[in-house]
Amino acid sequence: MSSDARQKLFFREAIIRALREEMDRNERIIVLGQDVAEFGGSYREFEGLFERFGRARVRNTPVAESAMIGLGVGAAAAGLRALVTITYMDFLMLGLDPLVNYAAKARYKTGGQIEVPLVVKTTAGAKGQGVAHSQCIEAWLMAVPGLKVVAPATPADAYGLLKSALRERGPVVYVDHKRLFPTAGEVPNEETLIPLGEAAIRRCGSDVTIATFSFMTRIAERSAERLAAEGISCEIVDLRSLAPLDMATVCGSAGRTGALLTLEEGQLSCGVGAEVIFRARESLANLRTARIGALPAPVSSNPILEAACIPDVERVTDAVRGLLASR
Amino acid sequence: MIYKLVVPGPIEDVEEVRVLEWHGASGRAFEAGDLIVELETYKAIVEVRAAQHGILRALLCAAGEWQKVGLPLAVMSDDGAEALPDSLAAVAELPVEFEVS
Amino acid sequence: MDRIELLRAMLLIRAFEAALMRRSDHGFQLLSEGQEAVAVGLCSVLGERDQLLTSGRSIAPALARGLEPGAVMAELLGKTAGPCRGKGGRGHLAQRSAGFFGAHAVVAGNLSIAAGVALAAQLQEPGTIVACLFGDGACGAGALHETLNIAALWKLPLLLVCDNNGYSVSTPRSEALAPKSLSDLAGPFGIPARTVDGMDVAAVRDAARELAERSRTGAGPVFLECLSERFASHSTAVRETRSAAEMQAIRKRCPISRLADNLEAEGGLSASARKQLEEEVRRAIAAAVRFAEAAPYPDPSEAVSDVV
Repeated sequence: MSSDARQKLFFREAIIRALREEMDRNERIIVLGQDVAEFGGSYREFEGLFERFGRARVRNTPVAESAMIGLGVGAAAAGLRALVTITYMDFLMLGLDPLVNYAAKARYKTGGQIEVPLVVKTTAGAKGQGVAHSQCIEAWLMAVPGLKVVAPATPADAYGLLKSALRERGPVVYVDHKRLFPTAGEVPNEETLIPLGEAAIRRCGSDVTIATFSFMTRIAERSAERLAAEGISCEIVDLRSLAPLDMATVCGSAGRTGALLTLEEGQLSCGVGAEVIFRARESLANLRTARIGALPAPVSSNPILEAACIPDVERVTDAVRGLLASR
Repeated sequence: MIYKLVVPGPIEDVEEVRVLEWHGASGRAFEAGDLIVELETYKAIVEVRAAQHGILRALLCAAGEWQKVGLPLAVMSDDGAEALPDSLAAVAELPVEFEVS
Repeated sequence: MDRIELLRAMLLIRAFEAALMRRSDHGFQLLSEGQEAVAVGLCSVLGERDQLLTSGRSIAPALARGLEPGAVMAELLGKTAGPCRGKGGRGHLAQRSAGFFGAHAVVAGNLSIAAGVALAAQLQEPGTIVACLFGDGACGAGALHETLNIAALWKLPLLLVCDNNGYSVSTPRSEALAPKSLSDLAGPFGIPARTVDGMDVAAVRDAARELAERSRTGAGPVFLECLSERFASHSTAVRETRSAAEMQAIRKRCPISRLADNLEAEGGLSASARKQLEEEVRRAIAAAVRFAEAAPYPDPSEAVSDVV
C-alpha cells in the first residue's frame, strides 16, 4: 500500500477513526457526553465506539455540562485521559468553570504536580438553530493561558488534529462546525497526526492572504474561485490551531502578498482576526489589513437574518476588492 | 429507451453520497417498487426504488464509490438488448422514489 | 488513630494557624479555628491511597492529611519549598503524593472534579475512595446537585463531607438553604447520609469511617454533614458579624478542649502529658516557621512556567 493512499470519508467518519485508533492504542481514554453510547452521538460522530469499547469507556451523561466537564477534568487529572463532548459550543459556557478555573490552571497552580490531559470536543456555528445554538466563541478560549484550541476545516484535519489532541499533556478544546458534517474529504490511509500550532496553506496565491479557519475556510475557497475569474489571486491560510497560533505561516504569506484579510464566523470584537492582524503588524510593515466576521448581533434561526449576519462569498469578495483597492 | 439512474434529490444539506449497496447486478430487471441501490449520506441511508420497469445495464459507481446529487450512478434500459449510447448527455433520468432513513 | 493522636492533630492545626496569624505577611486566609475536628476526624479514616479534595479552607485538612507543617507554611508564604512551589497558596494547596489531591478556591468548584477523580479511582484502584470537603456555602450551587446525581448514577466511590459552620461569609445557613438538614440533599439521589456533631472529633471519625467503608465496597457515594462552628470571621478579608458575647459562648464549645478535658477526666491524659503534647506541637510549629522563612521565593520567571 502506497504511503500516499487516501480514502474519502465523511467528516464524522474521520472523527470516529481518530477516536478508534487512539482508544485502541491507549486504554485510558474515555469518552463522556450526551447520547454518545448506543446512539453514537448527535452527528453520528461516535458511532461504533460504544460497541467496540463498552460502557466503561463510552459513557452517556445527563444534561449537565458543568459536571460533565468537571468529571472529565478530574478523571484526566487522576490518570485517565478524557474526551468530553459538548454538542453545542453555546453550552460550553456552562462548563467554563471546571475548564478555565481548574483544567487550564491545574499544572500551574500545583507547581506541576497535576496535569489534565483533557479534550473538550464541541461543535460551533450557525445552521438555522437560533441565538443560543449558533455561537462561535473560539476567541474567548484562545485568551486563556493553559488552554489549547484547534479547529479543523476538513475530514483529514479533523482526524489528524483530534489524534494529536488526544496525546497532549494538557487541556485542548477541539472545535468542529455544524456545516462541516455534511462534507466529505480524503483522509490518508496511514496513521497521520497533525501537530498543534501548525497552519496549512489551502490555496496558493499572490495578491492577498485570507487567514481563516473551520467552516469559513470553505467560504474562503469559494470566494477565491470567484475572484480568480476576475484576475485576483488569493492565498488561503487555514489556521487549524488558534492557540497556539501559527503566525510564522500567516506572516510568511502576508509578507509576500502585502494584504491580509482575516475571516471568521464569530464576533470581530476581540476576535481571532483582531489577534492575528495585531500580531502580523508587529512583524510586518506596510501591511494592508481587514477583518470579516459576524455582524454584532445574536444569530437568529430566521434564515433571512442568519444569512445577513454570517459572512458569505459576497462579503468576502467585496472585502478583498476593497482591501486591494486601498492604500 | 435508455435511462440514467442518478443520485436523487434534493436532500437537505446533501451534495454527495457514497454507494452503500447495489441490490442487483448488470442484467437484473427492476419493477416499480423494487429497491435498486442504497446510498449513504453524511447522516442517513437513502433507499432508491424504481418507479417503473427498468433493466440494469451498467454500473458507473461501485459500492464504496462517491457521486454527487443529480449525477449518474448507472445506466438502465427498458429492453436488455438496446444498444448503449456513448454519452449520457441526452439520456433521460429513470423515475425513482427515494426514502431517507 | 487513637484519641491522643486526634488531639495532637487538632492542636497542631490550632498552633499552626495561630503562628501564621502572628505574622504581618499572613496574607489572605480562610482559617479553620473551631472546625479542626471535622478535618481531623475525616482524615483519620482515609487510607494512603485515598484522595482528599477541599475548598479554599484548606489548612486544617492539609495538616490533618499529614502534610509537613513546614511545607504548608512555605506554600502559604509563597516559597518554592511549598508542595506547589508557592504558586497555589492556600486556595490551591495540593500534595497529590500524600493523598491530598488539593484545594480549589472556587466555592463548589472541586465537587465535580472530585467525582472525576473518584471515577478514575473506580476504574484504576477499586477499594479506594475520594473524599471532598466543602462548606454549607457550596450547597446552593448547581455543581453539588449535578455531582450528587452523577455520583449516584455511576456509584462513584465518593465521600462528600459538608463542613456546615452555619454561615456563608455573613449569610446564615437558614437564609441560604431551604432543606431542614443539609444531609437531606442526598436523599433524593438515593445517597446514604448522616449529620453529626462536627465539634466532636470521635463522632466525626466514627460516622466518616462507617460511610467510607460503605463507599469502598462499591456501593456508591455517601454524604456526611458535620455541624461545626468557626471561631473567626469567614476570612481575613471580611469582618466578624457575630457579637462578642456570641463569640464568647461559641469558644466554650472548642473541640480541642472538649476532647482534652474528656481524656483528662477519663484518666487517659494526665495534666503533665497534656502540657508535653502542647509543647511538642509548639516546637513542631516553630520548626515549621523557621523552615518556611529560610526557604527561597521563586524566581520571577516562574510566573510563566508550567502554563501550557
